[in-house]
Amino acid sequence: MRDQAVSSGHSRRDVLRFVAASAVGLALSDAVAAAPDAAPAPRGVSGSLRSAGALTFGSGDVLFVGDIAGAKIHAFALRDSDLTPQSGVELGNFHNFEGRDLVVGLDQKIAALLGTTTDKIVINDLAVHEPTQQIFFSVERGRGTEVIPAIVKVNHGRLEILELNNIPHSQISIPNEPDSRAMLEFEPQQTYAITDLKYYKGEVFVSGITNQRFASTVYRIPYPFNSNMETCTVEIWHPVHGEFETRAPIIRHLIRELNGEPYLFGVYGCTPLVRFPLSALKAGAHVRGDVIGELGYGANPLDMLIFTSPADSKDYLLVTIDTRSASQIAVSDLATAPPGPTGGSIDFGPGGLGRTQRALPIKAEHIAILNAKWAILIWRHPKTTHRLDLSTLALPYFFERKDGMSEMNWPNGPDPFHYGEHRREIDSVGHL
Amino acid sequence: MQVISRPTIHVNSDPSQHGPGSLSVGCLGPDLLACLRRSVRPGEVLKSIFRVTVAQASLPEDTGLPDVSGRYQLLGDEVQFFPHFPFERDMKYRFSFDPRSIGEILTAEPFDLEFLIPSEQVECPLTEVGHIFPSSDCLPENLLRFYVCFSNPMQRGLALEQVSLLDSDAQPVADALYRAPLELWDRSMQRLTVLLDPGRLKRRVGPNVALGPPLKAGQRYTLEVGSGMTDMYGRLLHMPLQKHFIAGEPVRKHVSTDTWTILPPAKGRREALALSFPAPLDWALLFHTITIRSTDGSIIEGQVGVDQSETLWRFIPASPWTEAEYYVCVGSSLEDVCGNTITGAFDRSLRKGPRLVAEGEAASLTFRLV
Repeated sequence: MRDQAVSSGHSRRDVLRFVAASAVGLALSDAVAAAPDAAPAPRGVSGSLRSAGALTFGSGDVLFVGDIAGAKIHAFALRDSDLTPQSGVELGNFHNFEGRDLVVGLDQKIAALLGTTTDKIVINDLAVHEPTQQIFFSVERGRGTEVIPAIVKVNHGRLEILELNNIPHSQISIPNEPDSRAMLEFEPQQTYAITDLKYYKGEVFVSGITNQRFASTVYRIPYPFNSNMETCTVEIWHPVHGEFETRAPIIRHLIRELNGEPYLFGVYGCTPLVRFPLSALKAGAHVRGDVIGELGYGANPLDMLIFTSPADSKDYLLVTIDTRSASQIAVSDLATAPPGPTGGSIDFGPGGLGRTQRALPIKAEHIAILNAKWAILIWRHPKTTHRLDLSTLALPYFFERKDGMSEMNWPNGPDPFHYGEHRREIDSVGHL
Repeated sequence: MQVISRPTIHVNSDPSQHGPGSLSVGCLGPDLLACLRRSVRPGEVLKSIFRVTVAQASLPEDTGLPDVSGRYQLLGDEVQFFPHFPFERDMKYRFSFDPRSIGEILTAEPFDLEFLIPSEQVECPLTEVGHIFPSSDCLPENLLRFYVCFSNPMQRGLALEQVSLLDSDAQPVADALYRAPLELWDRSMQRLTVLLDPGRLKRRVGPNVALGPPLKAGQRYTLEVGSGMTDMYGRLLHMPLQKHFIAGEPVRKHVSTDTWTILPPAKGRREALALSFPAPLDWALLFHTITIRSTDGSIIEGQVGVDQSETLWRFIPASPWTEAEYYVCVGSSLEDVCGNTITGAFDRSLRKGPRLVAEGEAASLTFRLV
């Protein structure tokens, strides 16, 4: 690249084209050449990430990142300077189901921050750091072989890069990752090498597929990382497909104690809800999960979480699904639900807890719980065709009033839910 | 007389890194430099005076698009900006200089300037479709897939629009090609897999019952790859490519190694071993599903070639054949052009009853050197 010095003069908004050349020396002034450490290393702020997928927080401000391209789980021990309490951020009118947009045009803003346009941006996952209520995204810039990963955070509505290169970091490799050339019928197997990860009592639980015959795998990885990783394989009877499945992976999972015993609950594509006692997920074990719900055929789960309802103080499982309403199931039912039958003919369901699930009006690409009253979601605004927004949504009905047209919206319209009485009650993140 | 400062800008590219590397601003004028050197938080001050943004972003500026993330440094009498992520080629960026935000009266004037770094000159020849497999111009009615091979790496996103199957009147055959949610490229982005709708191929399942098979024996077809496909350099294809073929009788039986002919090489030489098949096998799978082993089981290294419309597989060992006997090991994932494997036909009855999946054992053939 041959550089051209451009005098600012009065020529404004000139579009300059620089011609290709090679000499680096020409490019750098003496001042920079004398200080070689000044230039950041390639991928500097991405640290040792090669890709950025599933995200979750562990205890002690540790952010775990699933890195499929690198076949690793990374742990970044965030420092106080990496985290900013989000006190004062306005979340919406809770009583009246009116959320707020925290970042309008999230994809466009992430693209601008990374020096590109939205067509070259993918937002893979989000996670909330509960103590500060700060929101983090795993993002990738670029396509094909030139992908650059990044972790982006929201600070009072502004987006910032989490500079990973200076954060205390450890990593562990995932064994037997699928061959990068191995294909499923429609996409590379590697896409599913790490589907989800969650932290529970000193261990990271990772789901995904391997290159082994029983590909569907759960890893238990002690944190701080050491070599005592336990790998087990899992299978289910998939009622909608009428077959045992040993290769299709758990897409989303979480861990929850019920009656004193911890379980891993997983949800698969097309859409069985499955229960595994953690005690069974041991090194070398091949475990058949109990299918306790069939949530609806032809759908793909997006996120899975548990929230406490501010209405009745009970805990509920929430599974968001790409092509259907989100599914809400009482946590108290998860332990007691009998396992569905194994074997038999194809059954399109819904079955088990799928029959009593409650449909919630959530249309989110990603969702997470922010605090006791609010969830946050990334969604495509209905009145635009192209824009992703980051917004809040009130628990437990996950209903956004301001997007709907109804009689109540007219001046002097009816007010059966007493919205008028609560119009001034705006929530914000309190002092943290 | 007052002297107006005229900053100069250099865009620096370091080819040893991922992409174009940094921006430097010189000729700042003594008063601005002095002010920057006095600053307690120079990074913050620099960020407010020297802004770099994506000029072609689609949100209006007043909705607060962030600046390009990066690091500023004052080095000597120059300001350096290192983007956290390399500048993209052919992306238009805006550099804005406005010293007024630091609240001191300076002689420098604000200005905006747009810049872009063009793609490196691509010297390789224009991209074309090198070959479409299967090579034969007579293909079974239940053909499962085509491979379209390009001479350079390609970009995703255009296959659905640009790859089509046409009938003898050059009209698109409706719903014949599978509309994969993710385009099926190999790692090098040079090979695209195009599937015919498996639901229409498999008899007695929904799409097959409703629409019949995608191809009909005796009919003429054309697989067309439009020149609108773009390569990794953003260039259109040199020209469209059409593969004309006639559909023949379906093949609905497993691949039987009993029907193969082994043409053994001579001992002591690096002659090719050849396997001849009565019908074409899957071109891509032939490259990695057949291995040659010695009698102790170790794999013989060598080079594989596929020829004669995928009915001939050749193997040239890295070193001469030394033993009297070798094995040809055939992986269970080898398929013919219809997706039939050595363990069963693609279109076969569903497995009855609940039992765990049993993967077929690989076949093994033995040959002796001549």
